[in-house]
Amino acid sequence: MAIVQMKKLRLLAVRDRKEELLRELMRCGCVEITELEPKLAGTEAEGLVRPESSELAALKSRHSSLVHAVELLDRYAPKKTKLLSAKPELEGRVLLDDTGLAGALRIAEALEGYDARIKRIGAEESRERSLIESLQPWLTLDLPLNFEGTERCSVLTGSLPARFAPDTVSAAIAAVDEEAELFLIHEEKKANYVLLVCMKGQLPAMQDALRPFGFTPSAVSGLSGTARECQLNAEQHLKELAAEKENCVRYIVDDAVHRDELKLAADRMNVKISLAEAEERMYGTDSTVVLQGWLPADREEELGQLFDRFGCAWETEVPTEDEYPEVPVSLKNNKFTDAMNMVTNMYSLPAYGTVDPNPLMAPFFILFYGLMMADMGYGILMILAALIAMKRIKPRAGTLSFCRLLLYGGISTLVMGALTGSFFGNAPEIIAGMMGRDWPGLPSLFSPVRDSTLVLYGSMVLGLIHLNTGMAVNFHQRWKHGDKAGAILEEGAQWIILLGGIVLIAQMLVFKENAMLKNAGLGIIGLGAVMLLIGSTRGATGIGKLTAPFSCIYNTLTGWFGDVLSYSRIMALMLAGGVVAQVFNTIAAMPSEGGVTVFSGIVFIVIFLIGHALNFGLNLLGCFVHDLRLQCLEFFGKFYHDGGKPFEPLRIRTQYINPQE
Amino acid sequence: MEFLNTIGGYALGILGAGLAAFMAGIGSAKGTGIAGEAGAGLVSEDPSKFGKAMILQVIPGTQGLYGFVIWFLAFNKLVPGMSVAQGMQVLGACLPIAIGGMISGIAQGKVAAASINILAKKPDDWSKGMILCITVEFYAILSLLASFMMLNAISL
Repeated sequence: MAIVQMKKLRLLAVRDRKEELLRELMRCGCVEITELEPKLAGTEAEGLVRPESSELAALKSRHSSLVHAVELLDRYAPKKTKLLSAKPELEGRVLLDDTGLAGALRIAEALEGYDARIKRIGAEESRERSLIESLQPWLTLDLPLNFEGTERCSVLTGSLPARFAPDTVSAAIAAVDEEAELFLIHEEKKANYVLLVCMKGQLPAMQDALRPFGFTPSAVSGLSGTARECQLNAEQHLKELAAEKENCVRYIVDDAVHRDELKLAADRMNVKISLAEAEERMYGTDSTVVLQGWLPADREEELGQLFDRFGCAWETEVPTEDEYPEVPVSLKNNKFTDAMNMVTNMYSLPAYGTVDPNPLMAPFFILFYGLMMADMGYGILMILAALIAMKRIKPRAGTLSFCRLLLYGGISTLVMGALTGSFFGNAPEIIAGMMGRDWPGLPSLFSPVRDSTLVLYGSMVLGLIHLNTGMAVNFHQRWKHGDKAGAILEEGAQWIILLGGIVLIAQMLVFKENAMLKNAGLGIIGLGAVMLLIGSTRGATGIGKLTAPFSCIYNTLTGWFGDVLSYSRIMALMLAGGVVAQVFNTIAAMPSEGGVTVFSGIVFIVIFLIGHALNFGLNLLGCFVHDLRLQCLEFFGKFYHDGGKPFEPLRIRTQYINPQE
Repeated sequence: MEFLNTIGGYALGILGAGLAAFMAGIGSAKGTGIAGEAGAGLVSEDPSKFGKAMILQVIPGTQGLYGFVIWFLAFNKLVPGMSVAQGMQVLGACLPIAIGGMISGIAQGKVAAASINILAKKPDDWSKGMILCITVEFYAILSLLASFMMLNAISL
């Protein structure tokens, strides 16, 4: 419900018990270890104290090898898991234990070895395949490919571009030496593969004669045996490779029984990495270690007992205001406001010493969400989805607050749907129509299509309430921090103007005859404006004193105008969702106009399902985004100070297994 | 006027309804096309991201749907023999979603393609890319509403 009070911790412990102490802190999960303040610089102690070292890099590489091994198992031996299943749970003690790590690492190394072998086989296979490819033209040649000639004559193989006819080339060769002959071995679209036989002494001259025709010596000429033999060899090798690959895959699949063991080891490695990271931030002498950090004030007593048990020397300190930017922020929430954590985290945490926005935001967020979705059917779907996910996944932290948000949003959507009388748009009405009954549809208090103007004004009034809540928070904050004049001259002045505005509107709409009321309204607005102008010059200096009032008027006017109009999106999304749903219902019911048949019934169901799935998905996201915008831009703009850095205590962080709570 | 009379109100209404469907359709086709190309590039590297890439790809598909919704409403409104003025009214009412849908669809497609980059480089933050896409969506929704409310106001 608020930002948790933090205390700064300094602690000195005996080196022998460092490991044990860190593990104990990890189980408590409520101390954040930070870098040591550089206060020791220049003192006697400087030379004695040095940073603690750890095997962080080695641990990380072991961890990635374990994770890789699990991924390999999932790839080659996928395990069928139920949709939406929870992660297994184990006691924290088990996760902090080191046993079995060495064995798991050996398995992981073996698995990685098989995977590397499979990759090498893949490369060899493609080499063999391209060899077979390049042998194709020479298959009819029954000379060994590395045959260079007899005692007297030379043999040369190669290819010529197809644009030179073999006869032309033969003629050119004959011009050099009548004895030489060119044999055409294979013809292709782009090239002719040829064999040249000539007298040994003539070979260089022949090569010169061939060069103008773009003769390329054959790439396979170094191979022993004929092309066909080479091809058979390569095919044989391919078969062996395939068998070997299959073996490697089988070894990996056989190791699938160790999957859980590997997952546990990976998570144990995660724990060790967290410990090592904490250690890297600590300093120590030969016999002691020193650490500095933050702990929640309400856990101090419990932790104090722990520290005393380990024989530590320790002290805590309430942070001064100068230190506030350094203090980590943790929000304390109940079941209801926790749903907002997702929103706050997505934006930015509040600065330490300011207000926790979650309890303020929660009612508005949920109300606005319901107004934008406003459909009983969609609301029920959301509630069901949230409940099923919460039961099946047993979500933690972020996912849990998301599920709660979905649940509350769903309830709100259901209620608003009941008020606007929509259930999957106008589905009941349409279905009744298909059955041949004339039924006006569900009763409704108001409907976005019929009363769109009313809904538009209503949205803006809600916006005004929302914005004023934000201002009230800011007023309270300033008052508490002693800036009473500022609070009255800015927030107070704006409220006075608003009051004047309400009086004026009331006069225009209701008490049309009463001129006094009009003057009173104008007077109140004038008073507010003067206060605002005085307020605006307070912080300004020099020429700023002259320009500040103008920019103040401009900013206040345009700011309020824009902010309030922005809430019209509530009406826009409410209407759009309803209209699209109605159109889909109408289209779905069209084939059934003359009476429902089996075919038209099926068409109705198919179009209904597809259309509503689309509309539901889009609105689910769209309403969230626009609600988010109203909170983060309009509402937060009135009071919020962001920039808090999240509290990240030393705790058990895992990937595959949840620690038991 | 003489010329318009020879065409007739019904034809003008048909033109409006058609514009709503096909121009918004062009927007969605281009938008999903741009996003789809980027998505295919990513999936060729990492097929496991297909699901998320597909979600980002379909986001610019809604403009076509909105255009179709207005086409449907406008087409249902038309009656043979309606006046040129009435035809023009329907045509005018269809323009917001026709033009707004087309341009926002293409713009959204570009954002979706860029968000596929997020998905490739920072897979954990891909939902933020989705939020960036939805910002563009709002203007298509406004176009849809403008067209819808104007069509509603026309009495034939």
